[in-house]
Formats: sequence, structure tokens, C-alpha cells
Amino acid sequence: MTTPSTRRRLAYGRWTPFWFLAPAVLALFLIGIWPTLFALVTSLRRYNITRPRDGFPFIGLDNYVQVLTDPTFWDTLGRTAGFFLVVMPIQVALGLAIALMLHRPGLGMLRSLARVSLVVPLATTYAVVGLLGRLIFNRDFGVANALIGLFGFPPIDWLGNPTGAFVAICVMDIWQWTPFCALIFLSGLSMVPVDIEEAARLETPSKWALFWQVQRPYLLPGFTAMLILRSADVLKLFDMVFTMTRGGPGAATELISIYIQRVGFRVFDMGLASAQALLLLVITVVLARVYIRFFYREIEA
Amino acid sequence: MNKLLRTVSAAALYAVATFALPMPSEAAEWDIAKAAEPYKGTELNVVFLDRPGYRAIIKLLPEFEKATGIKVNYEIVPYENTREREVLNFSGQGDLSIALVDLVWIGEFAENGWILPVDKFANDATITDPNLNLKGFFPLLLDAFGTWGGTVYGLPFDNYSGLLFYNQCMLKDAGFDKPPATWKELLEVYAPKLTDKDKKQYAFALQSLRGETQSADSFMRSLWPHGGSLLDKDFKSNLLSKESQAGLQYRQKLMEYMPPGIVSWDHAEAVNALAQGQVAMITEWSAFYPTLTDPKTSKLGDCLAVAPEPAGEAGRLPALGGFSLAVAAQAPEEEQKAAWIFIQWATSEAIARAYVDAGGVSGRMKVYEDPQVKATYKFVEPMVASWQKGVPEYRPRFPAWPAVSEVIAEFGTKMMLGEVTVEGGSKEIGNRMEAILKQEGYYDGKKKLLQ
Repeated sequence: MTTPSTRRRLAYGRWTPFWFLAPAVLALFLIGIWPTLFALVTSLRRYNITRPRDGFPFIGLDNYVQVLTDPTFWDTLGRTAGFFLVVMPIQVALGLAIALMLHRPGLGMLRSLARVSLVVPLATTYAVVGLLGRLIFNRDFGVANALIGLFGFPPIDWLGNPTGAFVAICVMDIWQWTPFCALIFLSGLSMVPVDIEEAARLETPSKWALFWQVQRPYLLPGFTAMLILRSADVLKLFDMVFTMTRGGPGAATELISIYIQRVGFRVFDMGLASAQALLLLVITVVLARVYIRFFYREIEA
Repeated sequence: MNKLLRTVSAAALYAVATFALPMPSEAAEWDIAKAAEPYKGTELNVVFLDRPGYRAIIKLLPEFEKATGIKVNYEIVPYENTREREVLNFSGQGDLSIALVDLVWIGEFAENGWILPVDKFANDATITDPNLNLKGFFPLLLDAFGTWGGTVYGLPFDNYSGLLFYNQCMLKDAGFDKPPATWKELLEVYAPKLTDKDKKQYAFALQSLRGETQSADSFMRSLWPHGGSLLDKDFKSNLLSKESQAGLQYRQKLMEYMPPGIVSWDHAEAVNALAQGQVAMITEWSAFYPTLTDPKTSKLGDCLAVAPEPAGEAGRLPALGGFSLAVAAQAPEEEQKAAWIFIQWATSEAIARAYVDAGGVSGRMKVYEDPQVKATYKFVEPMVASWQKGVPEYRPRFPAWPAVSEVIAEFGTKMMLGEVTVEGGSKEIGNRMEAILKQEGYYDGKKKLLQ
């Protein structure tokens, strides 16, 4: 016979949600929260692991002061913002165009083929994209110069001059991430209820009206997620640029993550690098709030 | 008292003599299999690079493993990541039993106690080859690659000298029957005649990609031969001295005869440009010789010729670089001893010839006396000539070098691009470098001025 008390213990209780959440929280703690806390503590210390004999003393906010007064930090941050502002609109525009084309009815087989091929750039490792970039933009035998040569332009020394190198890393990023934007938009478009879309098509011949009035609201949540993910991504973009230009020539392609890697893993000043990384985290969170505030709209069914 | 002193000093002399010059009978007794007997089955971990010297030792490795029963696990890592990998391993008490030490890391590794002095093992006759003969290495190499503060830590393993590789057919077509002897001659006489921009042909290429390539291969190479240097005797910047400025200005002038975009060129591009006949001359590490002679990677054939780097106003001071192998302090004692046996073997006179034939560049003097070696490998004579004299601190080897190198790499490339003037860039490097060295404690007497 089961007493009421045992039954209560097995049934849904105050702690039940806790146990369901525990594994996820634990995993998150181990791989996300703990390292962040560790970085926070490290950022308050002088923590150069190639100087173990100096110890790792607490130095208060010195590292943060050093970051905020470091012109190179601001230069690289500005360059990263510039990079984002160049690549993001192009990726959104191209991604949207591709998504709208793929959303059109007809040509089933080819459409699925195109959809699958969109995944290829996404699945390519960043470092490989960088190495491909080095070949594509090679001055003497690169595809880029062969292409512009068809239109009669003289060869450009892409990676050897600051503007060329910046353009080259932008092109490679656009190549890799436009499909991501296209896929997100495509999934947004497929969420538009078929009957509504068909009704709208009967209602108006204007594709623009269809897009703006009917499809756009379904695209905004995905667009917001895209902005958040891409911002975080650009802030930590390292491998592709490093393999392609190592931040050069000069400092032309030195994005913030390349600079932090230099401080963290060349100079091994982990305290300073942690302070920089945490400031980036703050920037990412702020940007995410801004995007949600301005772009995110719940769709009313 | 006098007698006692005499006896003691005689005994001391004898001890030194027996250690330094082992008797031939003892020498014959070294049996690597017997010495390694207690360490059979030990596994050693080491980081290697994807360069000819490592491919050569990997080729010979089965012989060592068969004789000793010691297993050597190597992981091949790109150069730019090697220090990061090793530093993280050592500071996290990882599994590396041998340190691969680039000459510019020796100060950092030794001062942090990550590597052990050779002395710790060399006195133990059971694990030390009587033919160890440290004097058989080129003194410059042992001094620069393996020694810090007067103590020997590592034995020279993968050894480079900067050499002038040139396309003698191109030089001949331009009317030269020998390579330039001085940098001045190279710029004023050779460069104009060997450059034809319409045909995309250039006299010279100096690999200058941002990174260690810029700071070591390009920037420092422009200082020393012209009498300049990075630091003065008080460890303050010497970049604004007349000689240093002249050297850096020289580099700017020479750029006119280099392919455009030279600041994006790494070793591979420079070597390839010579191999494909695009440039007539490069100054590169001796280690690239096999790449330039291999018909799979080079069109040069008999056109390839090798000479010592040209001399500057301060004489011939070619780039110096290379790696030594040292026992890692973090390894358990048994593993340390096995590592010591491996390091001695890999750098020994006994395998030097086989190592060279497999594509390596040994640091042993004796192997290059062999007329057959001299005849087979064109790079030997200029390289041996280059190693007679040089500056071990070609790049300072103190722990602050990686941080300084980053600064040089950034402003060195900006200088070449014309984004900063030579003088402005030198000032900027000087200020930032001095800030780093101040933090290190070089200016308040806390730290000895070792480079």
C-alpha cells in the first residue's frame, strides 16, 4: 500500500523542474559559466604564464585601464566594426535574394540541389577558407586576377596592399556566410502560411507588397538571430584572417580577435587578454539587446 | 701546502681532461642499446616542424627505436603555433619530454626552469655517450641555440644560416659571372640590371610577411650588416642610430627591385619565386636547399647557386637561426634520461652524415670536412663560412622577444608600406619596446642585461 507521503515524493514537486534542468545547467556551468568566471578573476590579476616566478598578483582594474587606454585596441575594434558594416549588408541582401529565388515554386529537383550546396561554404573550416583565399587572391596565378583580367583590368596585388587585403577578407567572409543568411531567410519564408501567401498573390500582383506586407514579418525573428550570431561571430573571427593575412599587411586586416590572440598567446598576458575578451562579451550582449529592441517583433498569428 | 695545492689542481685538471677528451677505449664502449636498456618501452613526446631537418630525423628514427626500445612520439606543428603549444604544455605540466627550442626562446625556457642544463645528465656515464664532444658543434651554434647565461641547455639540432640563393643563369644573362659580394653592390650594380618589371622579373625578394618572418628575416637582416642593432648596451633602442637608420633605409630602396606586395610574402613565396625564375636572388635559410633542388618544386636545375649572404659596412653578418633539443624539466626522471639519450643520438657525430643525406643540416663540424659532402651539397661551403663568425643575439634571445617581435612585425610592415616613415616607425618601435623592457625589469637593475 502506498502512503500519501511516498506518493508525493515521486510525483511532481517543488524540485522537479530543478532536476530536469540540472544536466543542462551543469553542462553550461562547466563549459560556459566557469571559464567566464575564471576569465573575470584572471582579468583582475597580472597573469602572464610565461612569467610564473612573478606570481599572479591581484592588480585591481589595471588591466581594464590598460585596455581602454590602448590605441591598438580601439583601432582594431574600429576595424572590426568597419568589417561588419561592409559584409553584413551584402550578406543580408544577397542572402535575401537567394532565399526569394529558392522560395519560388517549381524546379523542385534543382531547388533542393541548390539548397544542399548552400551548406558547403558553411561546413568549410575557417582556416581552409583562409588558405583558399590565399590562393584565390594570389597576384600571379589567383582566380581573382584572372576574373578581373577578363574585363581588361590589370592584375591587383590583393594581399600585398592594405585595401586589397581588407577587400579580400571581406569577399571570403561574404562567400562563407551569405548561404547562412539565405538559409535563415528561406526558413522564415517557409513559415508564411501557404493560404495567406496564396491569398495575397491573388490580391495583388506587386511582389514588393507581398514581400513587405506578408513575408517580412516572418523574416524579422530570423533576421534578429542572424544579426546577433554574425556580430558575435565577427568579433571572434580569427582563423580565416590569420591564415590569409596574419592581420597584415601592416595592420590592415588586424581585427580585434587577432589582436587579442596576439596578447593572449604570443605575449601570454592572460590578464590583459581576459580583460579584452570580457569587454567584447559586454559589447556583444549590448548589441544583442539593441537588435532585439529594434528588429525583433513577435508574429501575431 | 703548495704540494697539496699542486696535487689538487693536477687532479682537477685530470678530471677536466678526462671529461672533455674521452679516451678512445672508452669511446668504443658506448653501446646505445645497453645504455637505453633500463628505459626500454619509455615513450618520449616532442613537437616537430614540417621542415626538411625533421623529415630527415623521422626517416632515421626507426633505427633509434629498434636499437633502444625507446619510442619517440612526434607531433608536427606549424612554426607559428609551436611556441604557443610548448608554453601551454610546460605551464600546464603537460606530456612533452623534450623541448624544441628556437634560438629566440632559449632565454624564456631556461629562465622559467622549463628545460634542464645538459650538465645534469652529462656527468652520468651510464647514459652519456663518451663521444658527446660538445666542442664538435660549431661554437656559434652551441652558443646561440643551446646556451643561456653561460649554461648549455640544448644541443643544436635543426641549424640554419642565412644564405644567398641565386639563379646563376639569370645573372649570367645580365652579364654577371659571380654573385654580389656586398649589399651595396647588390643594390647599385646588380638590382637595376636584373629587374624588368614589364616581364615581371625582379632582382631580389626579401620575405617580409608580418610575424616572425618580418621581424627576423626582414627587419633584423636590415640592421646588423649595416652596423646597426636593435638595442644598445643599456638595452635602450638603438634604432635611431645612424647605422640602423641607414640599414632600414636601404631596405626601402631595395624594395624597388622586389616584386610588389613583398610584405605579404612568407618563406614559401620567396623560395617559390626563385624556383620559378621570377626573381634572381633571395636570402633564405639553408634549410630550403632541398626545396630548391627538388625538380618537383623547382625549375632551377643547374641554374641554382649558393653563396654566403652579401657583406655590409659592418662585415658579413648573415641571419642566424635554428633549433636545439633540450630535456624538459616537467618529464619524470626516467623519461628525462631516455630523452637525453635520444637528444645525444639525434645530434651526434655518428649519425651526422646520414642526417645530412636525409636532408637535414647537422651542427657538427666534422661532417662538412668530408669532401664527398662538400661536393654533393652546394650549400655546405657558404654555410660553414657563415658559421665562422656571427652574433648569437642576432635577435635578442631574452624572454621579452616574442612581445618585442610583435611590435617590430607590425611597424616593420607599416614602414615598408610607407604608412609610417622609417624614422617614425623606428621611434614607435623603440618606445613600445622600451616600455616592454621596463616592465621586464631591465632598467631598474632587477634583471641582468642578457640577450
